[in-house]
Amino acid sequence: MSVEAPEPASNQGQPAVRLDARIKVTGEARYAADMPLGNVAYGVLVTSEIARGSVQSLHLEAARKVPGVLDIVSYGDVADLKPPDFGGGAYTSLGPLHARDIHHDGQIMALVVAESFQAAEEAASRVTAEYLQQQPSANLDSDGTETVAAVGNVARLKQDPSHGDFQGAFDGAAVRLDATYYTPTQTHNPMELYSTTAVWNDSRLTIYEPTQTIYGLRAEVARQLNMDAGDVRIICPYVGGAFGSKGAVTPRTAIVALAARRLNRPVRCIVSRSQGFTTQPYRAPTRQRVRLGASQDGRIVAFSHEGWELTSRIDNYVVAGTETTTRMYAYGSVASRVSMVRADRQTPSYMRSPPELPYMFGLESALDELAYALQLDPIELRRRNDTAVEPIEGKRFSSRHLMQCYDHAARQFGWGSRNPQPGSMREGDWLIGMGCATAVYPTHIGAAAARVRLSANGRVRVQCASHEIGTGVRTVAGQMAAEQLGVDLSAVTVEMGDSELPPAPVAGGSNSTASVCSAVLMACKQIRTRLFEGISHSGKGPLAGSDPAGMRLVGGTVITGGASQPLAEVFDGLGAAMVEEYAEFIPEGAPADAVRKLYAGHSTLTGGPGGTEVKFAFGAEFVEVRIHARTHEIRVPRMVGTFAAGRIMNPRTARSQLMGGMIWGMAAALLESTELDPRTARTVNRDLQEYYLAVNADTPGVQITMLPEVDPAVNPAGVKGIGELGDVGTNAAVANAVFHATGKRIRTLPIRLEDLLS
Amino acid sequence: MDRFTYLRAGDVYTASRAIHSAQTARGSASEETGLDRSGIYLAGGTNVTDYMTLGVLRPTTVVDINRLSAELYSRIDSDAQRLRLGALVRMSHAEGHPAVRQQYPVIRDTLMLAASPQIRNMASLGGNVLQRTRCEYFRGTSWTCNKRTPGTGCAALEGLNRQHAVLGTSDRCIATYAGDFAQALIALDATLTTVGARSGGRTIRFAELHRLPGQTPHIETTLEPGELITYIDVPAGPWTRRSAYVKVRDRESYQFALCSAAVALHMEGSKVREARIALGGIATVPWRARESEAALRGMVLDEAAAAKAADAAFADAHTREHNAFKVPLGKQTIVRALLAAQAMKI
Amino acid sequence: MDAHPLMPKRYPANARFSRTRRFFLQGAASGAATLPLAASAAAALAQPARADRGPDTGAVRPAPAGPRPGEPETVTLRINGQSHTLSIDPRTTLLDALRDHAGLTGTKKGCGHGQCGACTVHVDGQRFLSCMAFAVTLEGRSVTTIEGLAGPGGQLHPMQQAFIDHDAFQCGYCTPGQIMSAIACVEEGHADTPGDIREYMSGNLCRCAAYPNIVAAIQRARQAMKGR
Repeated sequence: MSVEAPEPASNQGQPAVRLDARIKVTGEARYAADMPLGNVAYGVLVTSEIARGSVQSLHLEAARKVPGVLDIVSYGDVADLKPPDFGGGAYTSLGPLHARDIHHDGQIMALVVAESFQAAEEAASRVTAEYLQQQPSANLDSDGTETVAAVGNVARLKQDPSHGDFQGAFDGAAVRLDATYYTPTQTHNPMELYSTTAVWNDSRLTIYEPTQTIYGLRAEVARQLNMDAGDVRIICPYVGGAFGSKGAVTPRTAIVALAARRLNRPVRCIVSRSQGFTTQPYRAPTRQRVRLGASQDGRIVAFSHEGWELTSRIDNYVVAGTETTTRMYAYGSVASRVSMVRADRQTPSYMRSPPELPYMFGLESALDELAYALQLDPIELRRRNDTAVEPIEGKRFSSRHLMQCYDHAARQFGWGSRNPQPGSMREGDWLIGMGCATAVYPTHIGAAAARVRLSANGRVRVQCASHEIGTGVRTVAGQMAAEQLGVDLSAVTVEMGDSELPPAPVAGGSNSTASVCSAVLMACKQIRTRLFEGISHSGKGPLAGSDPAGMRLVGGTVITGGASQPLAEVFDGLGAAMVEEYAEFIPEGAPADAVRKLYAGHSTLTGGPGGTEVKFAFGAEFVEVRIHARTHEIRVPRMVGTFAAGRIMNPRTARSQLMGGMIWGMAAALLESTELDPRTARTVNRDLQEYYLAVNADTPGVQITMLPEVDPAVNPAGVKGIGELGDVGTNAAVANAVFHATGKRIRTLPIRLEDLLS
Repeated sequence: MDRFTYLRAGDVYTASRAIHSAQTARGSASEETGLDRSGIYLAGGTNVTDYMTLGVLRPTTVVDINRLSAELYSRIDSDAQRLRLGALVRMSHAEGHPAVRQQYPVIRDTLMLAASPQIRNMASLGGNVLQRTRCEYFRGTSWTCNKRTPGTGCAALEGLNRQHAVLGTSDRCIATYAGDFAQALIALDATLTTVGARSGGRTIRFAELHRLPGQTPHIETTLEPGELITYIDVPAGPWTRRSAYVKVRDRESYQFALCSAAVALHMEGSKVREARIALGGIATVPWRARESEAALRGMVLDEAAAAKAADAAFADAHTREHNAFKVPLGKQTIVRALLAAQAMKI
Repeated sequence: MDAHPLMPKRYPANARFSRTRRFFLQGAASGAATLPLAASAAAALAQPARADRGPDTGAVRPAPAGPRPGEPETVTLRINGQSHTLSIDPRTTLLDALRDHAGLTGTKKGCGHGQCGACTVHVDGQRFLSCMAFAVTLEGRSVTTIEGLAGPGGQLHPMQQAFIDHDAFQCGYCTPGQIMSAIACVEEGHADTPGDIREYMSGNLCRCAAYPNIVAAIQRARQAMKGR
């Protein structure tokens, strides 16, 4: 055991090494753009240089003359393609080549295909366009935007959560806070570039593309190409980071497939880092107004959360984090409202903790402000408003160990040594600030299918078209099978990332471990049942006639009572080489046809606040900042997070995810912002030079603890999702620490040193 | 990226001639404007390759100078009078060299705090001082930019200009000179040796290398077409050992300076005999803060004197919508660097 | 509605709006082919390092026919101990040469502009960004990629093993670059303290943010590498 491989607490699995660890350190892991193919042609996108208007003419002649150019797909070439289906599998309804209208900066205008990447890139640079340009609206506060309510325009939102008489309670509150917070546009920027490789074999199409939705991609691309989904195969065994960016289908895929069909040869299109900022979705910026009214003893009598989120002109995308924030504490009354602001941008989509990361920044910053107004410790404020029952519908939390997390993390962090007075702590030239905030994430689960095989030689094969985006889902699925079938993990192989395998839900909403493990668990149980009944009825061997219900599989041996028999002999006795079972897991609350829908590309996630109980995972996060007294650089030397998230399948991979999540949240607070020129609605910092991801030197010691928690109500595996939990609240904890260090309350992210200069 | 002819030069004269030939082929008119980059030298490539990939540089001839004599141009020599750095010395080599580390700490610091270790292994010192601005409006070929495409306008003036300069600007260009090493060189009165100028070889003061943007921001240096830097000489002085570099940025590493200060002090007790101060991240060219230096001469160096000197550096600052913070930040950076250099144990 | 006049002034700012790219060099390039000193890579390489001999000695011999822009060049690289002779467009970066021509896809492309470190390899033992070097410039030099680290029997380099033990990756995409960089970091002597490691590993971005585990892995591997 080590820091990275924590000793499992109760209700935690072994900190096993990732099944794909070796091939990831040797370069053998094949990501989508690594697949060796013969005769591949290279595609490069040509994208628009305006954000709003239309393309009057596109000049392709010079590009066609570049030696090696094979084909250019552009306007007029896509009559056979259906436009994307927003709300189906696609992030946008915009078919960029179906009309010459430009709806956003960097919109696809053409795909140039050539014998080499170099020739394709040169040719793409020689395409010129004439535009009829209109003045675009770039951001939430730009002229020309249109604001509409989310409820009534977005089907899944039935009403804005509310409870009691907010206005009356707020007006009568002893202490009131009314503050507005801003979160910026952010871009996922997984390290792997977006790419599509399309290969046709007669009428069958194989696509290699990094995706979080194998079946969703298959269905949507088949629909756009007017094909039977069964004739499309998606292969993607490893995904080089995703964070939501690869969860919805983008228009590029079908265009590349079309080019490959026209040329009758494989086409690989790797999207440049810069074009990834505009041809893929992003996290929408938000404006949030938070009002809190409290009694003098710190009980919140009134809470209102209003959010404005940016979306495109053409699609109604909204995250509505009020669904979570309004259920967080024992508010006496609640009001909320979410609006969409339509601007000339591509449609946003989900990015790691889509609703919670921005909305919990507003709530948890406001709570810190309220704590100071009340002269109350911020942990104590949360304790006084802790609740076992959410205030909107009066549902119980299936489990909630928020204050246990706070108490544990506060001890680890040394919160007791903190002088609450802002600006009071300093070491040399560095001001010290300490802040905390709550992490929360709804526990989601979806229908999933899996096939598991137990062979006579004791080897196990698990098949499920889930997505190894770095979460370790391949490893935990293997651990579940090893545990259930009584074999060592080294005897298990797990196949994922291929639409020939049984379907899994989209790798989103932190559902994968719960969903996939539940399906694997089910298949393993079926294997045991078949095997044990077979043994019982076989009439041979030491276990013949024993009650199947008393049998167990342990260490490659079937055991019952005092008798046992090694698996190899069992299989000999049965005359079988293996047992294979296919299982379809449908979670409580999901429709009966959820698996059929899954095959058709649609994941149905349940959980969160939707069932009879509210299913959330919780955590408490503490951050120390150091701010140079002269130049005000903000550094984060250490962070502490304690989480309660049900059964932890693998403490090693779980710790890594929570740690990475906290660093993500820290970078979201201090570094990351996609900046658009307000005059043109075009992204200016479209590279990794000026879009600042945290580097190694920015990342502090991060201390992660996972409290033992048992919650059988969430799902059969008892698992809550953790991939997104870690990054929620960190941004507020950083802002709260900055306030503590300087006395300056910064309500707009990212917090930059100029915000602190006098 | 456009196709180009790749030439590998074995000596500096043929290298220079290759550039001249490429430009002659293009016509002399553009040579006069300073815009002709049809022939271009390639050393470490960390700047040139980047800008070729972006389509900002579109040379027809690339002259690889990496095989020029290592014995001549990849050497570091030092004696009591000076430090001589070959132009093909890689940043990491200089950063780790004992003479640089011990005698010229400000040079070490500017190299160590620049870019990343990989880039420092590749980038040559000659190329480093000639690196072009990282202004995003310059990098993206679809923006207007007087530096990249003269006469088209400057998108940064009224755009997102947090990164941009407040000193040495013009109404045509506010792009920041992004390098660090140059701040040490200008502070220490370095000189450059070149070959390939019309006059043959020559020596120029480093302070005369970069040109203010003025009305011709596309002409960035006083080098002639085909002129190649071969050596960088830094004179030793009573200030070189007491020298330091402070670099302020959002990330702790791997980011260009928002603001930086290179200082070198010659102290007599608590009094400043001579101070050298250069500023990065806030000016269009490597920036010597001579007003600040003058303000310190003969003064007891304390907080107040440092602050007063820092104020002097920004008397002529021109700020824009998003970069006004660089004035107070720049002042604080100078103070911080001065006090850090003063505190050095020598 | 009027467009913002951010584009070149010579275009009407308010209605029909067009632009073309500058630096349109087709045609002009042909002049370069007539250069008397054009370059055969092999000829230049044959020259031993020596002092410059003056302006007229011509260290680059004329090639039989001057190369035309974009014509394939032959380059020989030693990759993971094996000699590879590749015929490539001179624009091909070392990264693309490795991936598209040598079949070594372990080295990853993350940005193409030297901003992420995913493409880090060793050239003559030093860490390099393979996306920033044209392969033709590396004639005769030794390149080590992630595929070249493990021993003949498949035994892992101590850094690879340490990355496994310390879970120093999640998605794994930046990992080959991290490992190549980490080995160099130790060999350079920049791994003495966690602070040094953090600074000298900051040229390798990891979006999953496995950074603390990477630092731990390097500390561990540093011990193991001492005995090698």
